[in-house]
Amino acid sequence: MILPLDMLLLSLVLVSGFVSLFIRDLMGAAIAFGAYSFLMCLVWTGMGAVDVAFTEAAVGAGVSTVFFIATVYNITRFSPAKIKKAKWFSMSAVFVVVLVGVLLMKAIPDFPIFGDPQSPVNSQVGAYYIEHAEHDTKVPNIVTAVLADYRGFDTMFETAVVFVAALGIFSILKRTKFKSSDSKPPETSLIIRVATRIMVPFMQLFALYVVAHGHHSPGGGFQGGVILGASLILLALTSNVQTVLKTYTEKTVIVSAAVGVLIFAGWGLIPMLLGSNFLDYSALHVLLPATDEVMARSHSMLIVEIGVAMTVMMGMFAIYMSLASDGRMENGL
Amino acid sequence: MSQFFVDYYNYIIVVLVMMLGLWGMIAKKNLIQKCIAMAIFQTGIILFYISMGAKKGSSIPIIDHSHGAAHHAVTAAEYANPLTQILMLTAIVVGVATLGVALSLVQRIHSEYGSVEEDDILEKCR
Repeated sequence: MILPLDMLLLSLVLVSGFVSLFIRDLMGAAIAFGAYSFLMCLVWTGMGAVDVAFTEAAVGAGVSTVFFIATVYNITRFSPAKIKKAKWFSMSAVFVVVLVGVLLMKAIPDFPIFGDPQSPVNSQVGAYYIEHAEHDTKVPNIVTAVLADYRGFDTMFETAVVFVAALGIFSILKRTKFKSSDSKPPETSLIIRVATRIMVPFMQLFALYVVAHGHHSPGGGFQGGVILGASLILLALTSNVQTVLKTYTEKTVIVSAAVGVLIFAGWGLIPMLLGSNFLDYSALHVLLPATDEVMARSHSMLIVEIGVAMTVMMGMFAIYMSLASDGRMENGL
Repeated sequence: MSQFFVDYYNYIIVVLVMMLGLWGMIAKKNLIQKCIAMAIFQTGIILFYISMGAKKGSSIPIIDHSHGAAHHAVTAAEYANPLTQILMLTAIVVGVATLGVALSLVQRIHSEYGSVEEDDILEKCR
């Protein structure tokens, strides 16, 4: 936390946030929002939240910008210039917002001082995790240890939410009866196609590294899964959705998203069969070769992270292909 | 006043970001802009959590494990709070999934009403 640097970044965050709301070109607004997310991720890096910043760089600045652009592409690009707004409406909106702002500002002095290591948030269970995580699980990255082990239940259902969201988007947008447009997709430039072909394998290799090395460095199933999904989205962007669906059919996509959740929940279920609690990995040392109770937890984290990565990868791609092709699963952008 | 600012500047920015998001959700008539405002409000909340978990003079929450690193007792004040970070990490990924649901609803509304302006939609609903 360096005050001048934080001030610079935070004011840039506010400015780009304003720009993304005031710009009338919705495509530009999406790009400005991407810039907002990226600046926010720099702020979080400054506060020591590297895993969160990594996720935000992949998700907020990367994938969600693509989602916005896909939607704007399918609807009107410009918001109309003259909107007849009732004067009382905009006045009352400003009044409500200022009222909420003033009340929240009033509450600020009740918080512990920013960066105080002795505050209640930092001195209770958070401190326990820092002091015991490596001893309990042999995983130096405490965030991964808490994510996949101590709070595995939470993460399991978050993964399920991603899967359910992908299913929901399928059921909202998917069309089975429509006139198939026979028009060939426009040829993209040679440079883009060749560059993508070279980039995608390296992206996927890096994503696998991020998943596998989440124990020792920032990363893990969520970040790696988003990068894997982004590599598929990049392929679909440069050619079309159909090209990717030749390799992975719609069914494969949604089934492997479900299998990801199944890996997580199923791996948690095995300790129950061994007479222990749900998601208590330490009981698994009798099954895994050459492990003790501590290493069983470390290895189990890798397995559930793989499940998370599968769900997130296929979930992100399912959302993209539905949004980009407006439910037709044809050409996309 | 300046001491108040130095002590709490992150929380002040959080409130400003949340005000911006709330205003956008209420006052903007375009559904895409409403979605952007919702995402901005969400990042405000995430910034709030991360600010609570930050500690002055602390390192990132990865314990030094290089070869030859001296094994000394780990004290909590040396590392940023991992708990608030993991809560927000999962919230970001779930946030983008729900954002996808919101955008798909917007597309559905557009194919049904031919517009994403709130006034036009209300006009056609009558």
